[in-house]
Amino acid sequence: MALPQQQIVNYPTFKLVLVGDGGTGKTTFVKRHLTGEFEREKYEHFYTNCGKIRFNCWDTAGQGKFGGLRDAYYTQGQCAIIMFDVTARLTYKNVPTWHGDITRVCENIPIVLCGNKVDVKNRQIKAKQVIFHRKKNLQYYEISAKSNYNFEKPFLYLAKKLAGNMNLHFVEMPALAPPEVAFDIAAQESIEQEICMPAFQPLPDGDDEAFE
Amino acid sequence: MADPEHREEEEAPAVGDDEDTRAQVAPIVQLQEVAVTTGEEDEESILDLKSKLYRFDKDGNQWKERGAGTVKFLKHKVTGKVRLLMRQSKTLNICANHLIIPTMSVQEYDENEKSCVWHARDFADGELKDELFAKSLWKHSKKLPSPRSKWMTRMHLQ
Repeated sequence: MALPQQQIVNYPTFKLVLVGDGGTGKTTFVKRHLTGEFEREKYEHFYTNCGKIRFNCWDTAGQGKFGGLRDAYYTQGQCAIIMFDVTARLTYKNVPTWHGDITRVCENIPIVLCGNKVDVKNRQIKAKQVIFHRKKNLQYYEISAKSNYNFEKPFLYLAKKLAGNMNLHFVEMPALAPPEVAFDIAAQESIEQEICMPAFQPLPDGDDEAFE
Repeated sequence: MADPEHREEEEAPAVGDDEDTRAQVAPIVQLQEVAVTTGEEDEESILDLKSKLYRFDKDGNQWKERGAGTVKFLKHKVTGKVRLLMRQSKTLNICANHLIIPTMSVQEYDENEKSCVWHARDFADGELKDELFAKSLWKHSKKLPSPRSKWMTRMHLQ
């Protein structure tokens, strides 16, 4: 996988290994944290009461479909997320294999098991059927990458463990003052036209109840 | 992209979500609390609404969700400048951060009093980028002015 050159920064970076069967929502989950939907780089930044941190997220991008991943993928992994899909039983059955792959290469690192797609009505794996994490002392979260349900929890848990501070929590990212923008009549006119353009594109089916 | 959306609250599982399995792992770094700033210290909030923000992806010709959380209009106590600042809920990362200027036009986007659309040069990523935004606002009580009308009035007053 093409990874960006690791830049030197003056705050902690943690290598996060994201595994799980194809289609469980790993990439959607990571994208959720990158200024919404975009994929800029695979770094996820968080601001905490203990300063800024970032995760260097290794996402398999479908390479796990044909058997395991190369060891290089796991090498120097400092934390991991194993994702399965609560609507697809097989993806849960494969969790022990993924766990075995991680622990074979990485020594005792914090691992979060995530049951994704809990927004879907027809679950095949109910919360109480998820027991693998108990045997292996993993943290378990039910999440929905689509609705943002618990989407921050896996990272928060890993950050607490990696930083050795269970009081760590997210704080406001400092909001810099946006610079003044010179007014440009021509640009403004083209923008006005542009605003009309997507008028035929409905907004995704918004769910306001989520805010109430 | 009409996807059947989520029911965030009602899908809350019954299991203790924060049960710590007491995994014994050695921390990699030892981080202590530090002083933090929001960048909002010299401003006062003049409007504060929950909403979902979309940006228009020109290449894909579709709206994409940028985040869901709190959007505020912040007025600077000295200069009087007003900016729009939206933070993602829970992580408190920034989804949108731009000045509100008189030339900005906000348009209604649908008929159900919920969404509107505007263009801005946004600074969420620390560099100015042209973005076309749409927001879908929180549901409101019939008795009160709708969030959209409050929002649009505010936007046009600046």
